[in-house]
Amino acid sequence: MRFRHLSTYALLVAAMPAVVHAQAQKTTRRPTPGAKLAAECTWKPADAWVKRQAEFFDESKHDWSNDSLRNALLEAAGLKAPLKVPVQFGVHLEGSDSTSPAGAAGMVDVLKKLAATRGSTWPTRSVVGAAGTHAVYLLVGLDTTLAKTALHRMMEAGPVESPAPDVATLEDRLRLLAGRKQIYGTQFRRGTDGKVQLAPMEDSAHADLRREGAALPPFKLGLCMAGKG
Amino acid sequence: MRITLLFVAAAGLSATNPGSSASQEPKTVHVSLATETAGREPKTFAPLVGSWVITKDAGKNVLFIDGRVWKRGQPAGGLADKARELYGARNEEFIESIKAFAYFPIAVYKGLDNFENGEISVRFQMVGGTLDRAAGILFDVKPNGDYLTVRYNGTEDNVVLWTFNNGVRKFVNRAPTLTPLELGTWHTLKISVHGTQMKSWLDDQPMHDYTLPRTVAGKIGVWAKTDSMIEFADFTVTPMSK
Repeated sequence: MRFRHLSTYALLVAAMPAVVHAQAQKTTRRPTPGAKLAAECTWKPADAWVKRQAEFFDESKHDWSNDSLRNALLEAAGLKAPLKVPVQFGVHLEGSDSTSPAGAAGMVDVLKKLAATRGSTWPTRSVVGAAGTHAVYLLVGLDTTLAKTALHRMMEAGPVESPAPDVATLEDRLRLLAGRKQIYGTQFRRGTDGKVQLAPMEDSAHADLRREGAALPPFKLGLCMAGKG
Repeated sequence: MRITLLFVAAAGLSATNPGSSASQEPKTVHVSLATETAGREPKTFAPLVGSWVITKDAGKNVLFIDGRVWKRGQPAGGLADKARELYGARNEEFIESIKAFAYFPIAVYKGLDNFENGEISVRFQMVGGTLDRAAGILFDVKPNGDYLTVRYNGTEDNVVLWTFNNGVRKFVNRAPTLTPLELGTWHTLKISVHGTQMKSWLDDQPMHDYTLPRTVAGKIGVWAKTDSMIEFADFTVTPMSK
């Protein structure tokens, strides 16, 4: 089974029309201007989760080893370099996806081969940079089988090498596809009444602990950003 | 007929030392955390790797491994003092091995010096962990830092026996049953050791029935992995003569 779209990136950009860059912000942001927002919808660049994301996606040192693979990944994922990944709220709305860019399928095949080859170098942060790892996340989401293997690789690589918010969002998505409940609260669906609803979730009581570990914003903010709060 | 005596081991109570009574009737030690202080390191267990704190769950003290602050290669604070308390003059060797295993948070139970045969169980609740959600029983902990663990991993849904020797972790045996568990729910992991026969259970369901290459002898405790966030409670040990 294939996912059809590069969903999360599109949603995040849609949610943040100004494409806020974590590294650059100095003031509190209300990401959907004009909308009536609850207090839970505000966040600051000084928030720990924002700083963690900014640290991970800081590419100023250019400290990755494979530029050609990175460029191929960014192109296949429809990302332009130099990329500044927007603040990630960990919100994916089912059915809100955009079409995958041309050339994505070829790079998905490359990733499949890498995933299937014992001892191969998986494109982690030190290999393709932070933006490259985000591109990997977007691309593996196009193929469920690859996504399962990739999630394992991303988890194994750890928080220094893999983007924690992407790992959490991907895990939630795969759990739902496997008929289980999500655990971070990143997946949303539109109900028959048109309202956005949280997809089935287990242990919401500890959601903020898990989300903190994954450099995601508090659950209330995620809910708010999804139009639920 | 075996007579099982129950008693509650108060925090830091080591005078009962069930390990020295191998020839007597088995005594089940229910390790109580009731006198521990929430927000502080446990006194009953010696946290050697990772950030272990007492926290509250439904008003009851539980032992929490907080993987949010996990850093690869970083033992718990005060490692040297804790190792000295556990192993005296042999603490240097222990410290070196523990540093090699710093990927795996462990907390050693202080109330038992030597577990060779018997049963160990612990209740656990997975709370989170982006990389791992693993809860294990630690046993056969040697003065040089080698140990065995039977653990459940919520990212793999399985129960596995691992051995840690001279800085190297090796897979030993995986229980054939996959058991997905929901986060935020309590479960019980249990092992029994009789000579070289090791068995394990998850929520009373048999997992392992395995023959170890040798008998075990050493300290016991609880185990986790990388950024796991796990709550442990009701650690229970019943040392037996064989």
